Amino acid sequence: MPRRKPDTLLPLEAEILGAALSLRRSGQAAFHGFGLARAMREQSGSRALTGHGTLYKALGRLERFGLLASRWEESAAAEGRPRRRLYELTGQGAEVARQAAADAPGRAAGRPPRVASEPA
Amino acid sequence: MTPERMAALVARWVRLYTRQLPPPVARRRIGEIDADLHDHIAHERAGGTDDRRITLSIAARMIRGLAADAAWRRQTIAQTSTPEDVMTMSKAASRSVARVALATAAILLVPLVATLTTDGEGWSVADFVFGAVLLGGTGLLLELAVRKPRSLAYRAAAGAIGVAAIALGEADDAPGLVLFGCLLILGTIALSVRTALRSE
Repeated sequence: MPRRKPDTLLPLEAEILGAALSLRRSGQAAFHGFGLARAMREQSGSRALTGHGTLYKALGRLERFGLLASRWEESAAAEGRPRRRLYELTGQGAEVARQAAADAPGRAAGRPPRVASEPA
Repeated sequence: MTPERMAALVARWVRLYTRQLPPPVARRRIGEIDADLHDHIAHERAGGTDDRRITLSIAARMIRGLAADAAWRRQTIAQTSTPEDVMTMSKAASRSVARVALATAAILLVPLVATLTTDGEGWSVADFVFGAVLLGGTGLLLELAVRKPRSLAYRAAAGAIGVAAIALGEADDAPGLVLFGCLLILGTIALSVRTALRSE
């Protein structure tokens, strides 16, 4: 895994934010771990789903950065299956996700997206 | 292997690496992975994927995430340990080392006094170094065995050193080494009995 530079996102974190933004645009503001893994697989065109440890560790980091917020699903909504942890992009998270998407050409050139939006 | 069995294996792994973490942190990770595994199996079955492929996919996700699991555990422990915890562990370790050093010095005083006060052949510097390493190493092993009484490894190692000391002492006609081995074995047995009584 690449080393983190201060105030920058790892490629996986940018990918998570991108998938979260796509889900939000499609009307699904709240998402759960497996749903996100599926969305990421579809976006990247990969055949494999992100590893459990990799995915949930990255989600925890993004929550610590204030880019995602999470809560447990209501018991009634779970309908007998294990309750899901639901994530949502925060305002700052949505801004960073948009910026990461806009910076995609820069990222291809090796410049990682920034965690905080850069001053104008 | 069925997807459910593989999911149970992953769930067991999650419970293993979340051991001794703060309960809310551990419960959250366990709950998230349990829900993920359930959703994964349900989604793939609904899509008509055969069980073998689902099992392989779950196993692959677990394996790809192993390094991240271990790193997450390390970071969580580092973030949730208070300075007092670190200080307590450091103090306990210092006391253990001090106890072992004092006991080693006290035992080695006997041959030192004998070497200095008798005209016969005494211990050489190499003998003292060997004795210090043997006594100090064994002392630290016993400290670890006492601190982690449920761990069989340290007690087994202490017992094995005791047996080796008796065998070497017999072969080399060294009654001190035989006595050392006997004491070590007796100590190991006493520790095992104490652990067994406490776990009842």
